[in-house]
Amino acid sequence: MTSTEAGALAPAPTQRKRPIGLLLVAVPVLLVLWLIIWPIISAVIQTLWLPTPDGGRTFSAESYEFFVSDPYSRANLAITLWTTGVCAVLLLVICLPIALYLRFSNSKIAAYVQGLAIFPMFVPSIILSFAFIRVLGPNGTVDLLLNSVGLPKIKSPYLTPWGPVIGLVWDNIPLTVLILLSGLGNVSNQAIEAARDVGAGRFALLWHIILPRISNSILVAISFAVLGIFSAFTLPYVLGPAAPEMMGPFMQRTFRDLFDPTNAITQAVITFGFCIVFGLFYVRSVAKNRTP
Amino acid sequence: MSVLTIKDVTKLFPGGTKAVDSFSLEVADGELVCLLGPSGSGKSTLLRMVGGFETPTSGLIAIDGEDITRTPPEKRPTGMVFQSHALWTHMDVAKNLAFGLKLRRLPADEIKRRVEAVLELVGLGGYGSRRVTQLSGGQQQRVALARSLVLEPKILLLDEPFASLDQHLRERLREEVRDIQQRVGITTLFVTHGQDEALSMADRIVVMRDGRTEQIDRPDVVYRNPQTPFVAGFIGTMNLIEGTVSNGQFTRAGFSHRLAIGDGPATLAVRPEALDIVPAEPGAGKVHRVTDYGTHGLVDFDLPDGKRLKAMVNQPGQFQHGQGVNLMPRAVAAYRDDVQVFRSAP
Amino acid sequence: MSTTAVKIRAPIDWTGIVFAVVLTLVIVAPLLVVGTWAFTNVWRFPSVIPQEFGLKFWYQTLARADVWSSITMSLTLATTVTVLSAVICLPAAYAFARLDFPGRDILFFSFLAGHAFPKFGLLVAIAGIFLQLNLIGTFWGVVLIQLVGTLLFMIWIPVAAFQSVDRKMEEAARDVGASPFRVFWSITLPQAGPTIAAAILLSFVGTFYETEGAWLIGAPQVRTLPVLMISFINNQPVIQYGAVLSVLLWVPSFIALLFARRVVNSGSFAKGFGA
Repeated sequence: MTSTEAGALAPAPTQRKRPIGLLLVAVPVLLVLWLIIWPIISAVIQTLWLPTPDGGRTFSAESYEFFVSDPYSRANLAITLWTTGVCAVLLLVICLPIALYLRFSNSKIAAYVQGLAIFPMFVPSIILSFAFIRVLGPNGTVDLLLNSVGLPKIKSPYLTPWGPVIGLVWDNIPLTVLILLSGLGNVSNQAIEAARDVGAGRFALLWHIILPRISNSILVAISFAVLGIFSAFTLPYVLGPAAPEMMGPFMQRTFRDLFDPTNAITQAVITFGFCIVFGLFYVRSVAKNRTP
Repeated sequence: MSVLTIKDVTKLFPGGTKAVDSFSLEVADGELVCLLGPSGSGKSTLLRMVGGFETPTSGLIAIDGEDITRTPPEKRPTGMVFQSHALWTHMDVAKNLAFGLKLRRLPADEIKRRVEAVLELVGLGGYGSRRVTQLSGGQQQRVALARSLVLEPKILLLDEPFASLDQHLRERLREEVRDIQQRVGITTLFVTHGQDEALSMADRIVVMRDGRTEQIDRPDVVYRNPQTPFVAGFIGTMNLIEGTVSNGQFTRAGFSHRLAIGDGPATLAVRPEALDIVPAEPGAGKVHRVTDYGTHGLVDFDLPDGKRLKAMVNQPGQFQHGQGVNLMPRAVAAYRDDVQVFRSAP
Repeated sequence: MSTTAVKIRAPIDWTGIVFAVVLTLVIVAPLLVVGTWAFTNVWRFPSVIPQEFGLKFWYQTLARADVWSSITMSLTLATTVTVLSAVICLPAAYAFARLDFPGRDILFFSFLAGHAFPKFGLLVAIAGIFLQLNLIGTFWGVVLIQLVGTLLFMIWIPVAAFQSVDRKMEEAARDVGASPFRVFWSITLPQAGPTIAAAILLSFVGTFYETEGAWLIGAPQVRTLPVLMISFINNQPVIQYGAVLSVLLWVPSFIALLFARRVVNSGSFAKGFGA
C-alpha cells in the first residue's frame, strides 16, 4: 500500500510512464472487459455460431431469420420503435420550452420550475409506475375528479402503448432539460442581444441564433433518451400492454420465462444494432467534453 | 438639433439599487459622446436602456423626437457593438452582416452590395467568407462594428468595445473607429472606463458616478476644469489635498496657500504639472522617490502628516530621496461639499 | 434609498406561472396521491377524499416478512456494491487523475462502453455469460451486475475531484516534510472528500433502486425492495401495501435529494452526460 502511494504522489515535474498506475486501474478495467466488452462480443458469436446436435457449433443466421420471420417479434420491434420515436418527439416538445424559459427567465418562479423539472430524477421509476396507476389507472384520481363533476371516465392509458410513453417521458424530463439547459448556457446573452439589436424577433432568434447553437445538445439529449427508452424494462413491463410488448420485457420473458437465451441474446444484439448510431454519437460527445 | 434625447431617466434594479438616477442628456447629430465612469457607475445600464435591453423605471428616451422608451430592441434604430463582440460563430462574416438585412427582406443583390461596402469601410474587404472564429480579436471587433453599421442605424452604441483587446491594438482601433465614425457621420454613444479612450475619441464626455452625471463637457474642459473633486481625481493625475481655510489662507500640515474663499474645510486640487517644487531645508515636504522619464521627471514627496503628492519637474537630477522641498502651486481649483468654489485664472 | 414617485413594476411572469402549475399537476400531484393512499384506511370509489385516514396499513405492511427480508436484501446489496465499488474505483480514479501510464486515455474512456448500448440489451448479454457460470439467481450475480453499473460514476466523478486538488498544495505539504501517504491522507483526500462522498451516495442510491439487473439476474431468489414493489403492483389487490412501500422506498432518494441537489443543479453534472 505504502509503496503504491509513494509511486502515486511523487511530485512529477517530468512525468514518466509508470506501470504502477496500470495496477491501480486493473480491477475496474478488467470488470469492464469481462462484463461489458466480452458479453457484447460473445453475444454476437453465440447467436451466429449455433450449437449443432452433434455437440459442435456452426455458423448460422437462423436465430436472426427467426426474429425477422416471426410476426410477434416484428410487432414487438415495431412497438419499441414507435414508443421510442414518440417519446423522443414528446421530450423535445416538452423540454425545449422549459429549458428556454429557464435559460432566459430570472424570475423567482423559474427556480421553482427548475426544481420541479429536475425532481423526477429523485423518484425511482417503480414509484412512478405505482403513482401512474393510482392517478390514470381505472378508478384512479382522474376518474374520481371527472366523476365528481359528472363527466364520464377517461379511457385509461394503463396497459396500452401510451402507458410506457407517458411514464418514460416523465422519467426522462430531468436529464433532457439539464442537457438542453447546459447547451443553452453556451449561447451568450450578448449574442442574443446582438440579434435583437439587428431586428430579430422571437421566432428569428430561436430559428437562426439559438437552435443552430444548441443542435449538438439536442442530438445528445435525443441519443441519451433513445438509448434509455429503446430497451427500457421496468416502465413498459408494469405499464405497457402484454402483447405486443417492448423489447425490454420481451427479452426478459424470452430469457427467464421461456428459458431461451439464444433468442433473448439475438433480440439484444438487434437492439444494439438499432441503437449503435445513437450510442456512438453519445459516447463521442461525452468523450469530447472530458479529458482525463 | 439633437438626435438622441434622454430625459430624467431612472433605473431601479430589483432590490432597490439605483443604477441610473435622474439622468438627462442631449446628443447632437454626428456627435460622439463618451460615457465615462468607474464600474458600477451606471454607464452600461444607461447604454443598454438606449439600446432597448433594459427598460427605464421612469423617464423618457427619444430618437429624432420619437419616444422609444419602451420599444423593444429589434424595433429601434440603434446598432450596438458589444464588449465581447457577440458574433454568431455558426455563421461566416458575410452572414453575420447580412442577418439583419435579411430580416428586413432586402433583395439579395442589395444585401450583397451593402455587406461588401461596409466590409470595405472597416478594412476587411474580401473577408466575407471567413469563419468568425478564424479572425483575430481586432478583426472580430471590426466585424461587430460592421454588423451594426450595415443596418445604417441612427445611433451607434459601443459598450466598452475594446476592453478585451491588448493595449497596442486598442489604440489603433480607437483611431480607426473614430475615423469611420466621422466619415459616416453617425451619432455615437460610447461607454468606457478608460479615460484615455474618452479623451482621445469623444466630442463630449459625460463623467458618471453612482448613476448620476458629475460633469458633461468637451474633453479638454473636463481635463482642465473638473467641476467636482471626483472628476478631478478620476481624469488624469491630480493631487487632492484636504485642508482648512481660515482668513483667506488654505493650510494642511505645514503647507499653506492663499485661497480667497470663506472659512471652513476645503479640498485643493493641483495637477502635478501645475505644481512647482524647489529644494529647501527643512521645507514643507520630503522627497520620497524620483522617477526620470527622460523628457521630464516625477517627484513623489510627503507632507509632514504623510500625505503623498506628485510634482512634475524638468530636471529630476536636482532631487533625491530624503531631501526637503517647498511647493508652489501655479494653478489650483478648490472644492467644498463636492462643488467647485474656486479656480485660479488659467 | 429614496424611492420617491418611482415604482418598480415587476412584470407578471405568466409563462412561468403556466409552467409551474402544469408541472406541479403532472409531477407533484401524482406523488401526493400515492402519499395520501399510504395514510388511508378506507378510500372507496367514488369519494374524492378518503373515507378514513389512519396508519392501519403501515402496521400491516411492516408486519409482512417479505417486506422486511427485501429491505434487508436491498440494504445488504447496496452496501456491498458501494463498498466494493469504492475499494476498486477510488484507487483507480486516483491513478487516472495523477499518474501517467500506458493506455491511460483509452482505458479512461473504456468506462463509457457500457453507455453506448441500450442497457437492458447489455444486461441480457451479460446474463448469457452468467448462465454458463451459474450466477443466475445468486446474490453475487446481482452484486456483479450492479457493480458494473456503478463504475462510470465512481471513476469519473472522483477523477474530477482529485484533479481539482491543486498539485501545489500537495507539493507544499511534501515540502514541509509530510510523507507521500500522509499527503494523500491529510491534504488530497479532505480536499476531494465532499465530491467523492457525493459519488458514493449516488452510487448507493443508484444501486438501491436498480431494478432491471436485479429482476433479470436475481429474481425470484434475490428479492430487493423494487422487485417486491413490482410484484405488489402486478399481484397485490390491496392498494395501500404498494403505497406504504412506495413511501418507504422513497426514503433513500429523499436523502439523496437533500444532499445532491446542488451537484445536480450545477452545470458540470449535465456536462457529465455529454451536454
